[in-house]
Amino acid sequence: MTPLEVVFHLRTPVALGFPWIFLDSLLVHIRLKEELGERYYSLSTKVLRGGVPDRVLDMPLRQWHDVPVASVSIFEPQVEHAVFSFFKRGDFPFPRGKISRASGFFKDYYLRAVYAPVQRVRFYCTGEPEEVRRLCMKVPALGKEKNIGFGFVKRVEVREVGEERGLVWNGVAMRPIPVRYLKRWEDAAWMAYKPPYWSKYSVDLCAVPFTRVELA
Amino acid sequence: MSSSDEEWLRRWREYFLAWYDEGEVEGKAEEAAEFASRYLDGGVVSVSGGKDSMAMLHLIVNRCREDAVLFHWDHGPWLMPREVEREILEGIRRVAPRARLIVREYRFGRCERARSDWGPWYREFFSALRELGFRYHLLGVRADESCRRRARGRVVERRHWTEIHPIYHFTWRDAWAYVFRHNVPVPRVYFEYARLLGWDKVRLVTFFDREFEKYGSPQIDSVLSWRWKAKPS
Repeated sequence: MTPLEVVFHLRTPVALGFPWIFLDSLLVHIRLKEELGERYYSLSTKVLRGGVPDRVLDMPLRQWHDVPVASVSIFEPQVEHAVFSFFKRGDFPFPRGKISRASGFFKDYYLRAVYAPVQRVRFYCTGEPEEVRRLCMKVPALGKEKNIGFGFVKRVEVREVGEERGLVWNGVAMRPIPVRYLKRWEDAAWMAYKPPYWSKYSVDLCAVPFTRVELA
Repeated sequence: MSSSDEEWLRRWREYFLAWYDEGEVEGKAEEAAEFASRYLDGGVVSVSGGKDSMAMLHLIVNRCREDAVLFHWDHGPWLMPREVEREILEGIRRVAPRARLIVREYRFGRCERARSDWGPWYREFFSALRELGFRYHLLGVRADESCRRRARGRVVERRHWTEIHPIYHFTWRDAWAYVFRHNVPVPRVYFEYARLLGWDKVRLVTFFDREFEKYGSPQIDSVLSWRWKAKPS
């Protein structure tokens, strides 16, 4: 396992569903899609790891306790968030007669996406360089609302760095770390700290990324 | 709040204070108070803690009746973080110290399901209103908010009560001008959202509520109020 720096150069602004993007979840996502193909889109949403073999979820990253050594996103340049409002209207062969577009199958959405007009997204991790590079090359876009053009990746750079920066760097947490693994922390919040990030079983009281911590 | 946030807020405050005179908000407030006073006997002032209801509350207790009856609905920790709820209650008590405040809490607001299933909310909320037995419910509804609200009118007859909208003719500028001019307390989270969404679009609604998914609200909450996403405070 080697300390790595992964830089995604973006073509378009990145839309966010959380203040940060997690590199480990991105790699698991690509692996799952590789392994399951079309079946990926019909996975059960209620069952944790429903039908997915454990080897698929084995990340090419070092684990510290049960925390993957991979930082959250660092956006460059640091800019303020902005909002993009858009309509999501059904593109269906609409039936004849009167249909409700306020609710039900043909419901219209007036959505808002929070986005950051950044040029680069940087991550740090400790992992297998070849596998991390291979998976990162398969990422077409980062963040949310990729279907309407957000977060398109121009190119990816993966290079080795001299020290491990994926967990704590210069006394600062680079990702959520459960406080039970820490001696001291500056700020803590309930958040998911390992994939799958949508699951409540991944939630714990964690040190907030980019705040000062000391590992136990 | 950072120094750039403070500077941004100071500039907007100046704008709204200027609008108070330019937009003749004082006259609108007088008219709204006079209209509200007709319905305070046998009426209850519903206060959510948002800017509109707080502005309405302020003008009623200062221009009509100090000891009005107030009703506040607490959505519970999964829908309304406790920090925000505490701020709302403190604000109401500060504006109307002599009023009689009735607070009811949503029972299912203590479980996560409240965020995705809003059916019980409507049942419980309306049965609580009915149980209170007031003839008039004064709400901070403005015509400016949506076509639907404009179409409802200023007095709406319901089956068991009548809805009264004293600040119906206020615009979003008027509401904010009133808030800044009279230092009406509103939750701080408003300013954070206003910075991103704009003063005209910012509204205080329940957090991470899937009922508002069609407006993209939970998505914005996930970025701005991420601390309350995984677990309520």
